[in-house]
Amino acid sequence: MTSQSFGQGEPALRRLNGVSPRWSLWQPGNRQLFAYLLLLPAVLLTAAIIVYPILSAIDLSFQRIKIAKLGRERAPLTLRNYEELFQSPEFFQAIWVTISLVATVTLLSYVIGLATAVMVNQQFRGRKLARILVAVPWAVPSVMAAIIWWWLFDSSFGLINWALVRSGLSGEMIPWLSTPGAATFVIVIVMVWKGYPFISVIMLAGLQSIPLELYDAAKVDGASAWGRFRFITLPGLRSVRGIALILIMLWVFRDFPIIYLLTGGGPQGTTQTLAIMTYQEAFKFHDFGYAAAIGVITLIISVVASWFMVRRSDEPLF
Amino acid sequence: MARSRTETVILYAVVISVIVILVFPLYWMFNTSLAPSTQLRRFPPVFIQPEPTFAAYERIFNERPVGLWLRNSALVALASTALSMFVSILAGYSISRIRARGSQAIGLFFLMSRMLPSTLIIIPLFVSFRQFQLIGDLKSLVLAHATFITPFAVWMLKGYFDTIPSELEDAAMIDGCTPLSALLRVVLPLSAPGLAATTLYGFVLSWNDFVFARTFLVANQDAWTVNVGVASLKGEYLTEWNEIMAGSLIAMLPIVLAYLFLERFLVSGLTAGSSK
Amino acid sequence: MFLRSAPGKFFLLVLLLLIAVAGLQAQDTTLTFISWQVDEPGVGDWWRSAIEEFESTHDGVTIDFTKVARPEYADTFLTLFAGGTPPDIVHLAAFEFQQFADAGWMEDLAPWVENSDLDLEGWAGQVKCMWEGEMSCIMLLYFGFVMVVNDAILDSIGMEAPTNWEEMLAVLRAATQDTDGDGIVDQWGICHHTNEGSQYASQLLSYVVGSGAYWTSAEGEVTIDTPEMAEGFSRWKTIFDEGLSPLDLSSGDCHQLMMEGKLATRMEGSWVYNFVRRAEPEVQQHLRIVPVPFEVPVGGGSNVIGMASEISDERKQLVWDFIEIITSQEWQEQFGVNVGNPAPRPGTLTDAIYEAVPHVDILVASQTTASDNGIDRSPTGLQIVYNEFSKLVRNEAQRMIADDADPAAVVADLHNLAVELQQDM
Repeated sequence: MTSQSFGQGEPALRRLNGVSPRWSLWQPGNRQLFAYLLLLPAVLLTAAIIVYPILSAIDLSFQRIKIAKLGRERAPLTLRNYEELFQSPEFFQAIWVTISLVATVTLLSYVIGLATAVMVNQQFRGRKLARILVAVPWAVPSVMAAIIWWWLFDSSFGLINWALVRSGLSGEMIPWLSTPGAATFVIVIVMVWKGYPFISVIMLAGLQSIPLELYDAAKVDGASAWGRFRFITLPGLRSVRGIALILIMLWVFRDFPIIYLLTGGGPQGTTQTLAIMTYQEAFKFHDFGYAAAIGVITLIISVVASWFMVRRSDEPLF
Repeated sequence: MARSRTETVILYAVVISVIVILVFPLYWMFNTSLAPSTQLRRFPPVFIQPEPTFAAYERIFNERPVGLWLRNSALVALASTALSMFVSILAGYSISRIRARGSQAIGLFFLMSRMLPSTLIIIPLFVSFRQFQLIGDLKSLVLAHATFITPFAVWMLKGYFDTIPSELEDAAMIDGCTPLSALLRVVLPLSAPGLAATTLYGFVLSWNDFVFARTFLVANQDAWTVNVGVASLKGEYLTEWNEIMAGSLIAMLPIVLAYLFLERFLVSGLTAGSSK
Repeated sequence: MFLRSAPGKFFLLVLLLLIAVAGLQAQDTTLTFISWQVDEPGVGDWWRSAIEEFESTHDGVTIDFTKVARPEYADTFLTLFAGGTPPDIVHLAAFEFQQFADAGWMEDLAPWVENSDLDLEGWAGQVKCMWEGEMSCIMLLYFGFVMVVNDAILDSIGMEAPTNWEEMLAVLRAATQDTDGDGIVDQWGICHHTNEGSQYASQLLSYVVGSGAYWTSAEGEVTIDTPEMAEGFSRWKTIFDEGLSPLDLSSGDCHQLMMEGKLATRMEGSWVYNFVRRAEPEVQQHLRIVPVPFEVPVGGGSNVIGMASEISDERKQLVWDFIEIITSQEWQEQFGVNVGNPAPRPGTLTDAIYEAVPHVDILVASQTTASDNGIDRSPTGLQIVYNEFSKLVRNEAQRMIADDADPAAVVADLHNLAVELQQDM
């Protein structure tokens, strides 16, 4: 492949090549144009798939529309959906469920992810295998993760209930998915199991970028293991922590299949997140305008939250 | 670092017990898939099958087009990952090397697009795909998946490119390379671990999807991906946990294999990106 | 000039190929038919043979028979209709078609019936298919609940099949046991599947109508806050407080338990017989179908067939041809044998069905009683919000069990919520 073949179809570049045999990235005017050309395909792809649906969802949220149908007539603009939403206890419950789920799952995934990363960063025989096994749930699709745990937590024939009853920890079979609290517990377990491995991988990457000499120096100075962890490891992970947390939070915020398959939001709405509520209102209760309003609020919350986190994170994300 | 004997024993004990707990659900899935149907609603549970049977696998393969489902999932994952790698390499390179006005904003735009609740966009997306006659077609899925792989792929690649000294490209360009061929011949070969890690990430994301696949492909059984197929096993007439587990295992096997094969790149791909 | 060049020739070739392919496709018509019953024992085979019959009489027309599981059925249909790609043959549950008819997506079948030989006089449950003055569908199955009892378990506890609530409760209490002594119950009085969304309400409905209550009056007025309703809820609570049914199961699990001989009783529609027939002989010989132990059983419309209003006239004609086949005398008789329930078409109770389904009289009696009492899973006046209503029922009933709440207070709350829901409509 010749170098010219890449210039074809991009007159701007060819012209630039003509101007100087040594085309420089550091010519201000050209650099900008080149940068935009490179960004264009990604922006076009994302915009084509994302922008129209967002605009149409925002539009929908200002109309009283039961079922959004192709080629339907527009309904008059109204704020009714939002008014109803802000008077609905169910909506505030969903916000609360979402926030507490995001906080719990993120915290637990972070702790387990960090602990397992530190563990497999130690020197021992079989470390390679341990690294692979520790992160393997990451590759398990959410649908399968939900199915596996569903079976383990089955209220009537599940292994976990059997173990609890046989060991005397519980006097009776626990109706996991129909008891408030217990259902939340199951959801948290499944999400953490699916969520911690990615943190673990990112943290391991961060750990490997910390120079070993720092530890050796600290040892010479007589620092304890905890001291080394506190003053070398944790600060050394600063650069990866932000992205790890943002990714896991966004995932919990948006996740649909795990909750949908396990509880569908029940019992009594105790596991109903905003994503589940949006889906229920649209596809089960056929209230698309209302569902779109929930979706728009969800979007605003996630944009504001991640903006805040991006600003707070120690390293620029982009 | 020397360790005492007790420390070593404790370390192994911790490592083994942690891994056993974390991986046990997968073992239990495998174990259930080998159990005869009569054993599933009975206590005590059998931890090691005395007479493992592959009957559940046989039934799944005989009664369902599992091969076709796997092929569809693989096609979609490959195509969407390839598409998003193409656009992400260019974009990541742009953001890494040339801090053009607004590229930070564009980076954030990618991140924001990752936040959309899929339940919010699925109907409008369905409508627009329908206008292009893409419903029931694997291409709809390729486009949708490529879109949600791209944001993180751009970020990962940008981080990796940051670690490669730009002097190398300058030198190549002095030798007469265009910037794009410098990217192709100098930067990309040096970024192999980063590329592998990003590819794996894209693959996992695509293989994971259920909501889009079900919505776009449900009416065309020949185009079902393996997730949609396996979810249909959990019908309402009879619940055969051994068949469901066998199906789930088959469904995740390729992606787990890809993970095992590419795992070593995952950490090193991210290492460079994170140690800027 | 362009066409003489090599790329030009290639281009032309591709174009011709495309035209040829398009031409081929134009000759073949494929009707889409999505159903949750594809794998259902009995009725699935009936559908497949009816499709074969249709295809053999319609050259170049095929029917694509695709399964979508029940839990995601309505969501999928909504997406397909809203996106403008409805299935040609529309198969829906009798409690959900109203929402689709209300959106104008179902063809009015009255003119089609008029121009055909199909006589719907006396067709069971057909009146349920009328929506806003249009005939949106044809009733495929009208049913009443029956009870399956396991005589081996009844004998072991020295009891008979129950004929009223007191007897039933006694049977359930005696039958629920830990038979192998490991401290875990492994044989139950009954099995209610409670983890399948809207089905919760129809499971609970047995006890509601069994106590003489119902969700609404014939005029659609909410009638939940009554002592009878409280009694029904209290019976439901007793079942779960005392662990007489296993927990959080799907209907698939309940069927398996019944077939493994671990249930003393099970209440369900006529289709339950297809699972009885599939049990191993040593269990099957003990399973028997009896009337439910209540004066009024759950019953009503099960599922309906119709056509999408947006498809072309040619396709509509083809769909109608298919409907004519499955509603014909011959296929309705076959339906009774395959499905194990009398077909809705009058005059299809043949000797063949008596032979295949010995308890057919119990089924007929049950569906007649349910019909005479105006019982349906989806109540008049709440049909269009049935999904929301059944969610309310599930929430309130689960709260009653989890918080040990007073059934009378729970039904009073539910009454108000249902009235509110009705006002929002």
